[in-house]
Amino acid sequence: MDNYKVKDLMVPISEYATVPKGSTLFQAIAALEKAQEEFTGNQYQHRAILILDNKQQVIGKLSQTDALRALEPKDVDLKEINKLSQYGFSAQLIRQLQTSKRLKKGTPLTELCANAVRLKVEDFMQAPTEGEYVDHETSLDIAIQQLVLGNHLALLVTRNQKIVGILRLTDVFAAVFHAMQECHNVTN
Amino acid sequence: MKSLQNLFDRIIQRVNINLRELNYDVTPYIENILPFEKLLKFYAFYGITPHHPLNFVFRQSNLAGSYFLGRCRVSNSILYKSDIRGDELKKEGQVVKYDRFDIKVSQDEAIHIEDSILVKTLVHNFSHDPESLEQFFISNTISAHYANIHGSPTDGSFLGPMATVDLTTMNDCVIGAFAYVQAGEISHLNIDPGTVWVRVPGVCNFLYHHPSERLSRYIFFAPNMQPQGLLMDFVEKHKAAFQKIFEVVNIVPTVEVPQNASVDRFAVVEPKTRIGENVLVAQRAYLQNCWLGKGANAQENCHIINSRLEGNNVTAHGAKIIEADMGENVFVGFNSFLHGRPGSRLTVGKECIVMPHTIIDIDAPLTVPAGHLAWGMINNQADLEANSISLANLSKVNSNFSQGNMVFEGSGAAFVEAFKARIHHILEANGAFYDGVNNKGHAQKNQNISFNTIQPYPEGDLEGVYPTILIQP
Repeated sequence: MDNYKVKDLMVPISEYATVPKGSTLFQAIAALEKAQEEFTGNQYQHRAILILDNKQQVIGKLSQTDALRALEPKDVDLKEINKLSQYGFSAQLIRQLQTSKRLKKGTPLTELCANAVRLKVEDFMQAPTEGEYVDHETSLDIAIQQLVLGNHLALLVTRNQKIVGILRLTDVFAAVFHAMQECHNVTN
Repeated sequence: MKSLQNLFDRIIQRVNINLRELNYDVTPYIENILPFEKLLKFYAFYGITPHHPLNFVFRQSNLAGSYFLGRCRVSNSILYKSDIRGDELKKEGQVVKYDRFDIKVSQDEAIHIEDSILVKTLVHNFSHDPESLEQFFISNTISAHYANIHGSPTDGSFLGPMATVDLTTMNDCVIGAFAYVQAGEISHLNIDPGTVWVRVPGVCNFLYHHPSERLSRYIFFAPNMQPQGLLMDFVEKHKAAFQKIFEVVNIVPTVEVPQNASVDRFAVVEPKTRIGENVLVAQRAYLQNCWLGKGANAQENCHIINSRLEGNNVTAHGAKIIEADMGENVFVGFNSFLHGRPGSRLTVGKECIVMPHTIIDIDAPLTVPAGHLAWGMINNQADLEANSISLANLSKVNSNFSQGNMVFEGSGAAFVEAFKARIHHILEANGAFYDGVNNKGHAQKNQNISFNTIQPYPEGDLEGVYPTILIQP
């Protein structure tokens, strides 16, 4: 465990779900499904899709939350309701107003899904921030610190400034858990 | 004028540095709205009265057309036609209750304005910040026409025209045109134009947004232009009357003023106006053909025209009342615009609260029933029904409700009580309850104020900059 490096735990980018820029939300979700089927590394499923530019560089990441956000109606009133949190209103009141607005609009979920699949991934992806990159030779304890402090679910692993893989929080957690188990077995 | 230009550029840069997180550049908003030629022309003046500690310090600043009262310190700033009214500042030894603390004020409070540009802005009341009780600071801040900084220490912020920040400590914020904020403490917020927000954390929260398209008819502010709209036109229309009173040394009163009332020498009082007992009319107020009952007041930048105020009416800073009949104890909040017309008068029943920054502009007669709270944009009966509630019904709210563009959360009773207490305090401070012996307030204390004028360097590199001046008892 002490000698683990990022490269030992990362998922190679070739095994991860990726789509080119300009893809629709549906294409991205289909890519995630496909990657899930083909990924046999461990029991933990992928939870995001990477968006690549034409030079195969990662320009964004689409999480499951981002994909669900695409279902949100693009309603000016709802946007205003969402802004209420900055004015100190409670989450309970905001949810109540959102629900009442949705009921008033009455758009069924199937219709929201039908509209959302045609949307472009660029409109919902999150561009990686500086703290989300980690070199493949970095030791695992440093990477853990980076995951925890940055509150990230995954880090983009680089080699010679090129992204070569993904270090997922689930894989790191599993490795740590196994190490704990081994310690426990030794001491008992 | 080199120093003045350098000062102007320096302040803009400082404000922009503070607002960098909001990605807000004040340059195009301020560059064309400050009339440099008038900065060189107008004198500044200060009031002397035995009722307020006299202590002025002016350094490296331009103060064109501005008025000072009480303890004020201004450095590296440009104050154009602004009122810095320090007649409610705390005194040494006073005890301020805050949360679980009783805090003793260690020295007389002063207004400190530093590295700021204030355009036609009112600064009044006292610091409500428990961390800064002795210093009501305004630093690295720019405010546009008819903004109000009321009891609100402010740093690194921009206030658009007719914006108000009230009883709120503010850091690095943008307050859009005609927005009103009373929220205790805010930082790094960009408040949309036409927002009306009153929050007492953990107690109640009121939020309204004026519909932007309708608001733009009344006030509109964009880069590289002067503020525009009916509200600006209205104020401009009455500007000439003020020029006259600023040019004349001795003003002959045009109306009879009772001994216990006060009409500021820099207020405009046109004929057919009746001033009742304990009335307070502040500087830059405009009265024409109006009836002010006992204890009514008209604060800075108020306009009251062809209207009747029955008594104990608070007309807060910048409010305008035209062709209207106001019952007793009606409160009209900051910058509100109540505009009836001949034959289509507006009636506001007794003990109503008209929220700050309310616009009531009507073409048919309209009555706000007694004991109601009214807010927002009201052009007809339907708007009134959407934007008002009886105080009795509001007092029953203890969770939340929304009505039109307004959202309320918390205790309605606490909200109503807080407003009533504040209105009572304002009337008390203004001397509305003076009985000939007790309860003296501004109406009685501000009767005999002497005014002195000060002027800047007339030419050279320092043209427009006032020399360093210390004025003390």
